[in-house]
Amino acid sequence: MRTKTFFLVLALVLSSTASPVWAQQGKSITLSMLAGYKEDVLRASLPEFEKKTGIKVVVDASPFGDLYKKQLLSLSTGGRYDVLFMDEPWIAPLSEFLLPLNERMKSLDLADFVPTTVASGAFQGTQYAVPVDPNVQLLVYRKDLFEQKGLKPPATWDELVAAAKAFHDPSKQQYGIAITASSDIQTALYMLLAIWSYGGELVDNGRGSLNSAAGKKGGEVFLELLKFTPPNVKSYNFADVNKAIQLGQAAMAIQWASGARPMEDKTRSSVAGKLGYTLVPKAVRQTPMRGVWTIAVAKNSANQDAAWQFATWLSGKEFGQAAVKFPSATSAIHSPRFSVLKDAGTKATLPYADTLLASLQITKERPRLREYADIQENLRVTAGKLTAGELTLEAALKEIDAGTNRILGK
Amino acid sequence: MAAGGAGRWFLLPGLAFLFTIDLIPLVYSAWVSFYNWWLIRPRDVRFVGLDNYVRLGVDPEFNRAVVVTTLFTAGAVALEFLAGLGLALLFAQPFRFLRPIRVLLLLPLFVVPVVGATMWRVIFHPEVGVLNHYLTTFGLGHPPWLSDPTWALVSITLVDAWRTIPFMFLVIYAGLEVLPAELFEAAAVDGASAWQSFRHITVPLLTYIMLLAVLIRGMDAFREFDIIFVLTGGGPGTATQTIQILNYRAFGLGHMGQANAIGIVTLVLVAVMCFVLMRAILRPRGAAQA
Amino acid sequence: MKPTPLRATLTGVALLPVLAWTLFPIYWITTASFKTELALYAKPPQWLFTPIVDNYTRVLTNIPFVQYLKNSLVIALGTTIGSLVLGTLAGYGFARFRFRGSEAVRFLVLVTRMAPRMVLVVPYYLMMQRLGLLDTYTGLLVAYVSFALPFSIWLLIGFFVDVPLDVEEAAMIDGCSRLGVLVRIVIPIAAPGLVVAAIFAFLVSWNEFLFALILSGVEAKTLPVVIAGLNTDAGPLYGEMSAAAVMVMLPNIVMTLVLQRYLVKGLTLGAVKG
Repeated sequence: MRTKTFFLVLALVLSSTASPVWAQQGKSITLSMLAGYKEDVLRASLPEFEKKTGIKVVVDASPFGDLYKKQLLSLSTGGRYDVLFMDEPWIAPLSEFLLPLNERMKSLDLADFVPTTVASGAFQGTQYAVPVDPNVQLLVYRKDLFEQKGLKPPATWDELVAAAKAFHDPSKQQYGIAITASSDIQTALYMLLAIWSYGGELVDNGRGSLNSAAGKKGGEVFLELLKFTPPNVKSYNFADVNKAIQLGQAAMAIQWASGARPMEDKTRSSVAGKLGYTLVPKAVRQTPMRGVWTIAVAKNSANQDAAWQFATWLSGKEFGQAAVKFPSATSAIHSPRFSVLKDAGTKATLPYADTLLASLQITKERPRLREYADIQENLRVTAGKLTAGELTLEAALKEIDAGTNRILGK
Repeated sequence: MAAGGAGRWFLLPGLAFLFTIDLIPLVYSAWVSFYNWWLIRPRDVRFVGLDNYVRLGVDPEFNRAVVVTTLFTAGAVALEFLAGLGLALLFAQPFRFLRPIRVLLLLPLFVVPVVGATMWRVIFHPEVGVLNHYLTTFGLGHPPWLSDPTWALVSITLVDAWRTIPFMFLVIYAGLEVLPAELFEAAAVDGASAWQSFRHITVPLLTYIMLLAVLIRGMDAFREFDIIFVLTGGGPGTATQTIQILNYRAFGLGHMGQANAIGIVTLVLVAVMCFVLMRAILRPRGAAQA
Repeated sequence: MKPTPLRATLTGVALLPVLAWTLFPIYWITTASFKTELALYAKPPQWLFTPIVDNYTRVLTNIPFVQYLKNSLVIALGTTIGSLVLGTLAGYGFARFRFRGSEAVRFLVLVTRMAPRMVLVVPYYLMMQRLGLLDTYTGLLVAYVSFALPFSIWLLIGFFVDVPLDVEEAAMIDGCSRLGVLVRIVIPIAAPGLVVAAIFAFLVSWNEFLFALILSGVEAKTLPVVIAGLNTDAGPLYGEMSAAAVMVMLPNIVMTLVLQRYLVKGLTLGAVKG
């Protein structure tokens, strides 16, 4: 009798510690999601998906700065996520925990996806994720100011520097361009963008290769541009760049498309409707940087089919259109689909839709390496030291390369 | 003072709980610090002995971070202690109008740290912030609060002080409240000045509480993360890059061995700091209290 | 020491800058919660304005805020009670009983509070995963009591040793047990210490972010994680963040107002001795 009771209790304890039984029936999946406006959009549309498919989606939303950490910890310890909303640089490092989707992808209407966005979910020839929300760097400029001066939006880096200089008037709190020069990740990405444009690469043939003629040229242009920014860009981050545009202080900015919607919102921006958007400038090539939010399925998920069904829906046209229309002043989910981005309704809601699509078609991806997160972190720290004056350009480029090689074991 | 015996039953529940819950992870963490373990490579976990520690020792970035962290801790704790003590003494006076204000002074403690720091970033914003707006209006210039290496360190210290002066105040104030009033009355009858009764009654009787407040704040400031991360992210350059910022980086990238080594070094530094401080303050008085 | 009007005035004057410094950011957060983002950055700064409630509506409708508020409250109250009970017992034990190595054990209690939480979180996570306590109230509660306990113990030692022994001995002669003495005599005298310990235990749990992030997910998620989520990939949502922060601040204020009447010299030694 005692033994029986003991086993009964044990069974109870075990069943309560394992994930609940009803979760195993393919009817409930757990989603690791990014918190914020993307979560809001998702939660608003989710009931429709749940009604249509009978699949219950449990949303675990984490803040932007901590999502990768949480997914990494959970996936590497056999955690409970079935499906994960991921930024594209995370796919390579986490690929071994993700379900290969090559076969399943065939069921998708691939012709409707902007090709570069599909590439964002692949690593070493295997598809691990489906694109949901593509992001890319744009050049934002004040149409009204450019018209006043009779200038055309800059197409090259030289023209960009000249235009920034032309609009720079610190005595009136008017600054040429808003970018960052802090130890924030954006600073490193601005520098990398400029270097890319001049033909440089962060990693080439498996080695750090920023310390080249192209690297120096790009770095110099980036530093030159800092002469025409607000005086305190050494503390700026993504939000401060947006602020400089939204409060009418900067004539231009290079910013991710995800920052554009608040610039067009009257409660957040004093220049809504006065902004133009164009491709980031070129030198020997034009390389707007890509950053796509994707949806992936966990390899150890017990509900792979349901998870895939959810991934299909999230990357689908219907959700894309609903997301564009969602009344959020914060930002938008931009669909990876031609049919959504070219839609007249989309263009009316997002004045930058055309530029977004054009940029996505020529966008350049960051190195797709397992070690990329480490390489980018090294780039961030060193770019911060460069802009703070702790290092010269040449020393900084050498240090970045040395760090990259160390990380890659070279 | 009773010995052993019954004391065991008072101590056992709390200590058993605490040591089970905290020492097991701590030992685990120390053990992991001897391994090379990168979360993205779960099958490639290697024992590397003291490698992680040696690497920290020769890393100029880490050594700089130790200096920055120490500067920040010393500055913040000194400022907070003096301000907190001053406020506590002020409020210990029998003024009726002070009572209702007490809760106002505690408000910064109640603000979620990340929001407090975000709002300070708005206030500090050099171009569009409210602080520089008024400083400029009154002709006091516009300091580069977060974009100059020295100012950035000052700014994070100020925000930390804003957040935790209430802690110092509350702990010391509660300590003052239980001091026997008779002692002060007797001293006043004997003609002691306010300074004399502070020096010879308050300080000795309050040493333990004040020391505890400083220790607790010291260990927290040494491990402060949220405020620094939101305000400067360690910048500009590496001006405010503390040990915790480095720890966060290693942890965030999944380098468990490295992150744990940084953690254990932090623990040892904090423990030594606390031990030395306790010895220095308690011993000369012949371990008067507790 | 009789308070004179002059001293009162001087005290007031000395306090003004301190109050301004302490309260301005809070005022700014509170007003930001009723402003558009553009108004938050308006120049000259807006002190008076027409309030809007959109930020509150958005926070309350977009995410299950009330559910998370409940989680936070339950866990914080549990932490407070747990660490007060264990802390009072242990604090009294340390204050009244000496044993071999008691100094060392006491220091070890403090050492558990010195480890960076970032380092403890992974072993905790693995431990809770084994025990099936991820994303439960219990998992967070256990963690938070262990965070709050060292300070509670050390603080209460400081208050308990000041309680005169003769009072306790008298009570014991009257037939009180040790526990009875603690509850009836010692605790009332040391009330301010218990109040402080309670307030900080509550706050440890109420404001904690990292463990809440890693150990919880859906069921036991607490407010700091939700609020950190308002710092999005497209920058902080100042209005919503402020609105959430104001709502999160209110329970603390209520708690402090309730507790602070024990924070006075009502129950001093004189009263007991007399």
